Amino acid sequence: MKRPPVLMRVQIRGEERKFCLWLPLFLLVPLAILLLIILSPVILIAVIIVRKRGRGRWLSPVARTSLGILCSVRGIRAACDVLCSMPGLRIDVCNNKERVYVSII
Amino acid sequence: MSENQKKILEMLANKKISVDEAYRLLNALKTETGAPEGGGSAGMTGKPKPKYLRVCVAPRRGHKHEGHEHEEHEHEGHEHDEEAEVVNVRVPMALIRSGMKFTSLLPSEARDKVNDALHEKGINLDMRNMKPEDLEEIISALDDLEVNVVNDEEVVRVFVE
Repeated sequence: MKRPPVLMRVQIRGEERKFCLWLPLFLLVPLAILLLIILSPVILIAVIIVRKRGRGRWLSPVARTSLGILCSVRGIRAACDVLCSMPGLRIDVCNNKERVYVSII
Repeated sequence: MSENQKKILEMLANKKISVDEAYRLLNALKTETGAPEGGGSAGMTGKPKPKYLRVCVAPRRGHKHEGHEHEEHEHEGHEHDEEAEVVNVRVPMALIRSGMKFTSLLPSEARDKVNDALHEKGINLDMRNMKPEDLEEIISALDDLEVNVVNDEEVVRVFVE
C-alpha cells in the first residue's frame, strides 16, 4: 500500500559550510489540503475559461464544466499518486569538496 | 495444505476429476497464491520484483563508489579528483509507474507535439496508442535492464534492484 512521504532529508555540504535539514513532510499535508480548498474556486474558474476556449466547445456549459472538474480531479489524483510513490527516492551528488544529498523517507 | 488443495485432492479421490485436471488446478492455485505469499516475488520465476531504478556515476579510478557497495557515508574521506563527481540516484519503480500514468492526462495537442518531436529524433512511437497495459509491460521489461558505460574517466551504471 502506498503512503505519503513522511520526512525529507536534505544535506548540502560546501567547502566551508554544512547544512542538514530534516523536513517533516507529514506536517505539510494538512497545509496542502488547506491550500487546495482555498484555491478550488480559482481552479474552477480556470477550468471554465480553459473549457470555453479549448476542447469540447460543442458541449453544453454544464457538461463542459463537469468534464473540466473531472479532469482536474484526475490531475490531482495523479499528482497524489506521484507524491505517494516518492518514499525511497534518493539523490546523491558529490565530489571531493561538495555534496548534495536528498532523500525522501 | 490449504482448503482449496484439499478440495482438489478430495475431488480426485472421488474420481470427479482426472489426474491431469487435478494437476492443472493445483498448478493454477499455486500461481494464484504464489505472488502474494512470496512477498514481492515475480510470479513463478522466484526472481524478486525490482523496487528501484539506480543510476550511478563514479570515477573510474579505484572503483570505490561503484554500484551496490555505495553507501551515503562512503564518499567522505575518499581521495579523488576535485572534478570527479559521484552521482547516485535511486528512483522507486512506483514513481516511474505513476509518472508514466501522467501521459494519459496529456491533451491531444501536446501529444501531437510529443509525437512530432519523437519522429524528428527517429523514434516511431505514437503516444495516442499508449495504453496502461503497454506502460506496465515497459516497466516490467526494465527488470532485466542493465547499462554499463565505461570510459577513461567514469563508469556509468543504470540498473534495477
